[in-house]
Amino acid sequence: MPDENKKELRADMLFEIVKAKYGDRLTDEQLEEVRSGVDGIEGLAAELRKVRLTNAVEPFANFQPFRGADNDE
Amino acid sequence: MNNDLVFTPIRQLAELLKSRQISPMQLSEIFLDRLEQRGPSYNALTTLTRERASRQAEQAEREISAGDYKGPLHGIPWGAKDLLATSDGIPTSWGAAPLKDQTFDFDATVVRRLEEAGAVLAGKLAMIELAGGMGYRQPTATFTGPPRNPWNRETWTGGSSAGSGAAVAAGLVPFAIGSETWGSILSPANNCGLAGLRPTYGRVSRYGAMALCWTLDKLGPLGLTADDCGLVLEAIAGPDPDDPTAADMTFAYDDSPTEGRRFKIGVLKDVADGAEEPVRENFEKALAAISEVADVEEMEFPDYPYVAAIRTILNVESAAAFEDFIEEGTAAELTAPEDHYGPYARTSVLATDYVKALRIRGVMSREVDGVMSKYDAIAAPTSPRVASPIDEEFRKASPSPGPGDLMGAIGNGCGLPSISVPSGFSDAGLPTGIQFMGRPYQENTILAIARAYQAMTAWHTRHPEDALEG
Repeated sequence: MPDENKKELRADMLFEIVKAKYGDRLTDEQLEEVRSGVDGIEGLAAELRKVRLTNAVEPFANFQPFRGADNDE
Repeated sequence: MNNDLVFTPIRQLAELLKSRQISPMQLSEIFLDRLEQRGPSYNALTTLTRERASRQAEQAEREISAGDYKGPLHGIPWGAKDLLATSDGIPTSWGAAPLKDQTFDFDATVVRRLEEAGAVLAGKLAMIELAGGMGYRQPTATFTGPPRNPWNRETWTGGSSAGSGAAVAAGLVPFAIGSETWGSILSPANNCGLAGLRPTYGRVSRYGAMALCWTLDKLGPLGLTADDCGLVLEAIAGPDPDDPTAADMTFAYDDSPTEGRRFKIGVLKDVADGAEEPVRENFEKALAAISEVADVEEMEFPDYPYVAAIRTILNVESAAAFEDFIEEGTAAELTAPEDHYGPYARTSVLATDYVKALRIRGVMSREVDGVMSKYDAIAAPTSPRVASPIDEEFRKASPSPGPGDLMGAIGNGCGLPSISVPSGFSDAGLPTGIQFMGRPYQENTILAIARAYQAMTAWHTRHPEDALEG
């Protein structure tokens, strides 16, 4: 399937999830804007997916275990 | 007449206080009265904190009289963006109508540190609702009313630290603390003709500040001069056990004279393309001026999807930070219509895309630093436009060309410090700004460059006619 079609299909599915969760509180006009927002987000994601990274590249949000000051063994 | 006094930079005010030519009580009364009387006309003020200010000013007076002088902020009034927690029943509204009476029983670390430095909290200042975290498009996205620019009330202050910008520009407080996730200190600094310092991420504790995006939020000062910003940063920066992201290092402001120093400044290729004409012209003139003390050369950053990566991070973290507004539907009670539905799309970001953005962030941070290691700073217009009309969506009023705010994406995404200072005015009398962005923890260098530029220009000595007395 061409990439553009995949992107559209992903956006369709993601929008349906958002609509299922929150659609009851939004007007049709607002839902159109949300759909536009989802399209924009999928567009950003498409740019990210073009960047190839090796397995070794870690997320820039390192987790470190927390140990409090008075933690006796 | 107080015109000279209310537009006096911190260092000179401090000298007046230290030499007892004016008392902290007298100075605070002047600013409190101005903030109370004029603040609402700009929609800059959320809460006047007269009681706390009076107590702090009295204490400052006793201490200075007894020879116990704490430093340049002792007795100096200031304003807090209304996302900084303040105790004593002082509301902290986050600019959001549903939270206009929200209170905390503690002070944010920044508030506490400024009290320890002897500064006097004059008021909580208006802001864009939730610091723009719902994706606002217009200046009126706040329950406190459209934030009016003292240079022209029919234009907006910039945001989201809107009240902080208006209050300092109008001489209602000598300095204010704002916050920036992406643009919210530099934007009002640009629009209001001020110095605004976005510190390195983690330089200043975020404890007690509303979170919009945990890995992008920074707190920083707005003042009349770059020197003001340096003095304030020294007081508020430093490690904090209450904020695990606060860097484990203090900041000692180096205010050494810049005479004899020669800097190396990079200018991003085509950075001013598409900017409004006065912005472009004033930027070129500013570069010509700074060439007296700097070698200036064109440069480029490596090709990465900076805007896509950082916007993805912002989308996800803001949706998480404001989960209650989304899940409980409280977004519908916000002021701007677009904020009623804005956050919902953000819940659609896939986790793997968020992690991909974090991975790209690491790569881009390392490569950007490699480029920036060759320079003392990268210079750019702070904004491609002057303040836009208050009743128009700001992107429609003056659309930004090109792929988006590259300096903003790189600067905020990599956690880099940047200082904006005024670079001139448009024919309509609206300020333009130039920013100097540095490597992490290089605030002293960019402050020195900004001070050197301000020593050869006088833009920062002009003040809005609207704000003058008499």
